[in-house]
Amino acid sequence: MTRRACFTSLAAVAGLARPAAAQRPPLHATVVYAVGREPTMPIPLFTSNAEANEDLADQLFLHLAVFAANAKGATDNAMSPALAKSWHRIDPLTLVFDIDPRARWHDGTRVNAHDVLFTWALATNPKVATDTRFEPIASVEAVGDMSVRVRFKRPSLEQVYTFGFLLQPLPAHLLERLAPETITTSEFARHPVGDGPFRFERRVAGQSVELRADTTFFLGRPTISRLLFRTIEDPSARVAAFITGETDVLDKIPVQSLPQVRQRAGGRVSDPGSNVLVYMLFNTHSTADSSKPHPIFGDPGVREALTLALDRPTIARTTFGPSAQVPDAAQSQLWSWITAGTVTAQPANVARARTLLAQAGWRAANGDSILAKNGAPLRFSVLYASSSAPNNTIALQAQQMWRAVGVDAQLDRLEPSVVGKRVGLGQFDLWVSRVGQDPTPSSLVQSWSCASAQQPGSTNRAHWCDVTFDRLVTTATTAKDQPKAWRAALAEMAAQRPAIFVAAPGNPIAIHPRFDNAILWPSHTWLSLWQWRVRPSAALPRDQ
Amino acid sequence: MNRWLRYRIADAIITAIAAVIALIVLVRLLPGDPLTAILGDRGADPATRAILEARWGTDRTLLQTLASFFGGVLHGDLGISLSEQRPVTTVLAERLGPTLLLGSLTLLIDFTIGLALGVWAALHPDTRRARLLGLFTLIGYAVPSFVVGTLLMWIFAVKLGWVDSGGLTDTLLASDAPASAVLVDRLKHLALPLAAMVIATIAVPLRQQRTAALETAAQPWVLAARARGVRPAAIAWRHCWRPALTPIVTLFGLWLPMLVAGAVFVEYVFNWPGMGSLLAHATFSRDFPLVIGAGLVLIAFVQLGSLLADVLYHVVDPTQRPS
Repeated sequence: MTRRACFTSLAAVAGLARPAAAQRPPLHATVVYAVGREPTMPIPLFTSNAEANEDLADQLFLHLAVFAANAKGATDNAMSPALAKSWHRIDPLTLVFDIDPRARWHDGTRVNAHDVLFTWALATNPKVATDTRFEPIASVEAVGDMSVRVRFKRPSLEQVYTFGFLLQPLPAHLLERLAPETITTSEFARHPVGDGPFRFERRVAGQSVELRADTTFFLGRPTISRLLFRTIEDPSARVAAFITGETDVLDKIPVQSLPQVRQRAGGRVSDPGSNVLVYMLFNTHSTADSSKPHPIFGDPGVREALTLALDRPTIARTTFGPSAQVPDAAQSQLWSWITAGTVTAQPANVARARTLLAQAGWRAANGDSILAKNGAPLRFSVLYASSSAPNNTIALQAQQMWRAVGVDAQLDRLEPSVVGKRVGLGQFDLWVSRVGQDPTPSSLVQSWSCASAQQPGSTNRAHWCDVTFDRLVTTATTAKDQPKAWRAALAEMAAQRPAIFVAAPGNPIAIHPRFDNAILWPSHTWLSLWQWRVRPSAALPRDQ
Repeated sequence: MNRWLRYRIADAIITAIAAVIALIVLVRLLPGDPLTAILGDRGADPATRAILEARWGTDRTLLQTLASFFGGVLHGDLGISLSEQRPVTTVLAERLGPTLLLGSLTLLIDFTIGLALGVWAALHPDTRRARLLGLFTLIGYAVPSFVVGTLLMWIFAVKLGWVDSGGLTDTLLASDAPASAVLVDRLKHLALPLAAMVIATIAVPLRQQRTAALETAAQPWVLAARARGVRPAAIAWRHCWRPALTPIVTLFGLWLPMLVAGAVFVEYVFNWPGMGSLLAHATFSRDFPLVIGAGLVLIAFVQLGSLLADVLYHVVDPTQRPS
């Protein structure tokens, strides 16, 4: 072989090698996420309060503003632009949002102020929406084609959140010809057209919803090409699907499965915290006559005794795992910034519980192990939904712990809709409840204020009212030192004991090790999913 | 025969209508209400509740509900699912296919292999293999299907990795995948739910057939056939099996509705998008239109099973035929 031929051969090899690296097919990174309930209505304002629908809607539809990195709370300075490129304040009651002119609906139409106004009209239409969180907003109007002016009823530090985050605009050009009450049954609901990083691809009934990246997304091309929401109802089947590699992400991991899942995820289990709060709500009103106090729970001393009789940390950890924390008031881990990063509670004190019960007149009688007062035993029912395994674990453990101090708790385990009906009618003694809290503590007014206590059909199920708490909340919404102001409000709630706050669970989330930049949010966990990346060296066939 | 069949079909339709009316009445008696189930954490003031109830028809009287339902049925409209906000007929159509696939294959295996094993067990009553067969099928029958399903999943999907853990298909499979890949994918997803269903159900037809065949095996005509030197296989299928079919026909008629709603737990464990789990969900969330719609399909299958059983009686038992 001549020297020239050798060079030619080497060049050919080099030439083959270089293009092979350069021409490696681009990754089509795929994320498969298992949800417990099929997302059939991922349209903002119509999500029926179902988590999977809301998660999916976050990928399809943009918020005007989202939370900034490391945001604490939902004050205006915690928010950063999304669909709105900016906002500015006219006066303490007025904000103007400027829509990013680059934003487009997935059909190519430009997003404009009319879309925002149209969505606002839907959000305040009683035929469509039941969301009371827009109550602080007085009016919304267009300023030109690309800006909206929002007037609020009162000053607040959370005006950007209240409008900019809670409202996800819908495409007016596709929906305004429909009657509002027919949107959910329209073609749009089957094939939503959004303005988010992903566009709707297809739904396979009962199995999955597939989204594809919008490669023209104005905030940057998504680094995830395909997003699949797989419906897997059985929690153990969800675990199995993650372990077998059929899914990439697993949240709400059952406590007993954590070690296996951790092993599969290469130890990569993150816990961004969660907005879930689990508590046992006291009905302080008589179930027979709501104008009278409850014969047992009307006494704050008894409420305190029942709280102190429980070893809540044990209940929380055995039910929700080691990341669960125990609050003394309505505070999930989402609001841990109020108490410097942790949520803590008064420890159990069985001796003190016994003393308090004795002081309230509940004493052992006739050698019976159950305490009594004026011949009536210390007996009440604990109402909870049969669909929730954690509720059952909590109720069973509490029952045992209360029995040790002479309290007879009767477990009333019923179907969720029956529980909801009974609670709505005030027909319960103690109700084991679970709620997902909003990003801001000012949302406490929805369930724990005197105003909500007066409002029929509100989520203040026990009609709890404490004017001091109301005053402290009002102060906190405009206070400069937010953590201190909210600590004061929560301390007042803890002192009044409207409920036994059992747990602020964490949310361990396992992610396949091939993903980088997997940022998770405590609420709206998957907002940054479009920016996740797959390491090319670890790509799976489904990423090709 | 034709007249009898027409009468029998009319009877089935009238019974189905009565059953649907009973279902609607019973559904309305269920405690809890759909609005509470759908609103969940969010409250609604009385005015909003009234608007939503009017929109979803949950404020109708019984007579209005009946009129609306049967009026809709005539036009092929079963209303809108409250939880899914889609036409009930669409939701049912999506779920019926997977259910029929799983249910019909289960019935097919139960009533072919199950019956064959039943006859075999009757002809070999005192053998160890027959006793083992009885024991294993009884264990399968006794253990809840979701336990069997979970075990199968952990062994064959998680530990061995032979099949997928659940679902009807691999939704990541390319739309232009070759037919062979699609077939393999279907089989991989079908294997475990079908195995769980068969394990949980095959004991019944097997034992029923065994008992019936044991009875006929002692009949004089069987002894006579044996005395004539007829081959054992011919004795089994010609002289024992056919006379022993009558109770099996009854069983088949009763089991046909299992096609639709017999696999709630298996569907749940294997994430099989069928009618059983849909019906359970609809009941749970008080999605009355969907419950009634699914109930209508179930009632139709019950009537169909009963009708089919009656027709089969006439086929297998000449004494039942009308003169």
